[in-house]
Amino acid sequence: MIDFAELLTPIVMGVLLGGLYALIALGLSLVFGVMKLINVAHGDLVLFSSYFAYATMTFLGIDPILSLIMGIPVLFVIGFAIQKYLMNRAFGISMEAPLLIAFGISLILQNFQQILWSPMARGLTTPYALESFSIGPFRFPLAYLLNFISALIVVLFLREFLRRTYLGKAINAASQNKRTALLMGINTGRVYAYAFAIAMATAAISGVFFGLTFPFTPTSGVSSLILAFGVVIIGGLGSMLGTFIGGMILGLAQTLGGYFFSATAQMLILYVIVLAVLAVRPQGIFGR
Amino acid sequence: MLAVLPVVGVSGRWLLYIFLFFIYLSIANMWNLLCGYSGLICLCLPAFIGLGGYTLIIGTWVGLPIPLGIIAGTLVAAGFALLISIPVFRLRGIYFAIGTLVVPEALKFIFFLWRPVGGALQGGGAGYVLKTAGGFSTTDIYWLALAIGLGSVFLIRFILSSKLGSGLAAIRDNEGTAATSGIDVFRLKLYSFVIAALVTGMAGTVFYLRQAYIEPASSFSIMWTMIAMVSVIIGGLRAEVGPIFGTMIVVLLHFLLSRYAGYNLIIQGIILIGVMLAAPQGMMGFIRKTVGYRSLLQLASGR
Repeated sequence: MIDFAELLTPIVMGVLLGGLYALIALGLSLVFGVMKLINVAHGDLVLFSSYFAYATMTFLGIDPILSLIMGIPVLFVIGFAIQKYLMNRAFGISMEAPLLIAFGISLILQNFQQILWSPMARGLTTPYALESFSIGPFRFPLAYLLNFISALIVVLFLREFLRRTYLGKAINAASQNKRTALLMGINTGRVYAYAFAIAMATAAISGVFFGLTFPFTPTSGVSSLILAFGVVIIGGLGSMLGTFIGGMILGLAQTLGGYFFSATAQMLILYVIVLAVLAVRPQGIFGR
Repeated sequence: MLAVLPVVGVSGRWLLYIFLFFIYLSIANMWNLLCGYSGLICLCLPAFIGLGGYTLIIGTWVGLPIPLGIIAGTLVAAGFALLISIPVFRLRGIYFAIGTLVVPEALKFIFFLWRPVGGALQGGGAGYVLKTAGGFSTTDIYWLALAIGLGSVFLIRFILSSKLGSGLAAIRDNEGTAATSGIDVFRLKLYSFVIAALVTGMAGTVFYLRQAYIEPASSFSIMWTMIAMVSVIIGGLRAEVGPIFGTMIVVLLHFLLSRYAGYNLIIQGIILIGVMLAAPQGMMGFIRKTVGYRSLLQLASGR
């Protein structure tokens, strides 16, 4: 018999975890939606933020979330530069070029981090990251709740930004029809660069929260990428709500999988689900 | 000539690098086949390599003699390719790329969890040691690698000049048009996919025959894909001799920077980006454009 009370823990954790996954996927979704480019280096860029926060924590003693004040601009600039100088040119070369270049970036980042930080697992351990809070008789890790709240904030913020500001609308326009956007006087090259940069800013945030929740190694980027991709696939492109829900579905799948099977099988179940969704309905549940 | 090297007593270190060269070459050629000639950005090569290696090594534990193990590994890889081709070929372009990315990662986890034979773990992980060398000296292994490497080159040449090759080129350029022209797109893609699986699977078995130890993280690692990709891009995507040049450079880098493994890969990443931006056709493309090459061609064609 399934003990429903006991099931509550993995369910709640799954939903909260979903917030984190949605946050990670936001950047990927934005870049894909706008530029039709899957940034395979996304996971590694998220990890970069985690390591950056780790560095500031270890050497400067700054709390990771506070360090975002530095982290976000850094990643923003990096993202802008990548798009403007690398990807922009790559688009004109061939269809595979941006993908391969992203691979190159991924390669560089992974090994750069491996050299600096060794393959040993690191974690952003702060006093509050290990705290737990309780709802009724159950206890949950506080970090998960923080993830969820921050994910909500970022998603809402981003949605309003895209709807209300000129840049946001320009990004929307450029993603829908590049030529028309150009005709309307939008500098698509610059708009793409800003979109990428914003995506990187969300990656920065997600990196910090990821590091707070899980230990990470230089190769965690690949699994983050697959996760993010899974969220984007399930949630469908171009839908913020879809990304959020996709994140929760994956989060639930992971925790419930861990509950019913074993802890190590969690990731495997996720991958299988991603493959299944890819094969069956690539445009996702909410996709246009 | 290269075959004579081990007998002549060239140092073990050189042999290792030339060995690696041939293994990498065969994998790079296959990636070129898939991405350059068939238009399939396939990131699942590590799956075939790992499967080949695991089949061989587990085979030694169940008493399978090594030659059979090599064949078995190759077949397992090909069989797996057949198996996943059905769901995976429904994906196009980037979805295909990510789908194939997930496959080796999933296999990695499966092999972490699955311990088919043997009791205790060796090396503290989910690793396996080759049980017996089965009378295969390093020289024999070297020759095997040589055979596979050269074989892959001839295979590519053979495919390109065959109907399969033209069909693949048509698919790569425009899948819809190719289908309208009566090409069985699925079947041709399947052929190149399975062929690639066969060769990389075999390369995997020989590699792990030499290394004599396998574990999930490195065997299904994305590094194999990176090596193949960098080799092909540097040398020239779609050029027949492209992978040869590219692999030479990659192995040279490995050799020079063997003490600084991480830097080696960073440099490869930078080179990859640089080449993509500056000379997308790689070295061969660059050479083809030079006046010297063109004059040579003219001379050769007797004008």
